[in-house]
Formats: sequence, C-alpha cells, structure tokens
Amino acid sequence: MNAPAVLLRAGGFLALWLVLAGVNPADLPAAAVAVAAATWVSLSLSPPSGPRVSLPDLAMLILRFPGQSLLAGIDVAMRVFDPRLPLNVDTVPYSPRLPEGAARDAFTAYASLMPGTVPVTADAGGDILIHCLDVTQPVAQQMAREEDRFIRMLGYRDD
Amino acid sequence: MLVGNIATVVLVSLGAVFFLAGTVGLLRFPDSMTRLHALTKADNLGLGLVVLGLLPQVDSVLAALKLVAVWVLTQLAGATVTQLVARAVWRGGGS
Repeated sequence: MNAPAVLLRAGGFLALWLVLAGVNPADLPAAAVAVAAATWVSLSLSPPSGPRVSLPDLAMLILRFPGQSLLAGIDVAMRVFDPRLPLNVDTVPYSPRLPEGAARDAFTAYASLMPGTVPVTADAGGDILIHCLDVTQPVAQQMAREEDRFIRMLGYRDD
Repeated sequence: MLVGNIATVVLVSLGAVFFLAGTVGLLRFPDSMTRLHALTKADNLGLGLVVLGLLPQVDSVLAALKLVAVWVLTQLAGATVTQLVARAVWRGGGS
C-alpha cells in the first residue's frame, strides 16, 4: 500500500473532522475511529493507483461552480414564479466519453447541479439521457463542454 | 460591522427566496423529474446564499470553514441522491 497516499487521505479526513466537530481532546477516540473508517472506505472505493486529478483543472471547476449554481437557481426560480410556468421538458440522449463506472457517475452527479439538466443513467451500458427543463437550449453541446472540463480534471488522456 | 450585517440580511433573505422557489417548484412542477430540478438547483443556491450571508457573523476561521464544509457536503449529498432518485424514477417507468 502506498503510504504517502494513505497519510494524505487520513490527514484530509482528520482536518474535516476538526472543522466539523471542533478541536476537543475528549473527542479523539471517536475521531480516530471515524478517520480510520473513512480512509479505509475511500481507499477501497478509489484506490490511489487511479487517474491523477489535475489540481489546476480541479481549481477551475471549483471556481466555476458557484456561478453555475447561481444560474441554475435563478433559472428554476424564474420558471416557478412565472404564472404561466414556462417548461419545455424533454429528454435528450447523450453518449458520454467517460467510461462506465465511478468517473462517469461522478460526472453525472456533478452535471445534475448544472443549470437546466439532470442526467439519468437509464440502463446499464447504454447512453445516458439528459432530462432538461427547456429542450430548446443547446443541452447536448453544453453537456459535452462540461464533460471535457471534467475529463481534463481527471487527467485522462484523449485516445 | 455594519457592512457585514447588511450583507448578512441581504444574502440570507435572498437565500430564503430561493428556498421558497424550490418549495413552490415542488408543488407546481408536474412530475418527479422536474421536481428534482427544483430541489437540486433552487435549494442548493438558497443554502449557498445563507452560508455566504452567515460568514460575516462568525468569529473564527474554523467556524467559517465549518459553514463552508456544510455547504460542500450538502452539494455532494444532493448531487448523489439526485442521481439515485432520477435512476429509480426512470426505471420505474419515467416521469
């Protein structure tokens, strides 16, 4: 097992514990158990040998997120408060470039927070469907651009 | 201090408006999938604005980080649960 990777993750979970529960020596035994369990689950779900996340691209995704969240929230609010309830609901098929598995699941979860779209994995092995509030928007192109950003962040090489 | 308090009142009030939008969407939108849009997008933004509005009121960096961590964890959990609900709705026959 890769010791630096284990220590890095355990350190991250310990930091999260301290932020959430506060610095309190009496909590240490509980913190140790929680950190050990979280590190174990994290290593088994996402082994350190996986793709290396590109930190600059991750930072770009994170910085972009609040603006997208704002657009998404305003879009929904404008529709729900409009007496005519302007909806143009439909699903658009989309072929993701990410392979099936954790990376694609992470992308669809991320994309469900983007404005106007909720991707649905309709059946195993197939395309995903994008459920959109307004199908007249260029939904598939938007999703492809988001996926490009996500692929760069995960450090996959194009092949 | 005054600027901080004004920011808090404005941002938390705006946050409440988006929480209201999420709930109105839950009532007005026609099916489970569109309601998921309302909850994931409007309520997430509402929480973000409330967290942003409370930041000027905290007295330590740790407390500020805690507020931000709550927002981040809610985004992660919300996105994941949205995917699970959407999948369940779709496999149960759509809408």
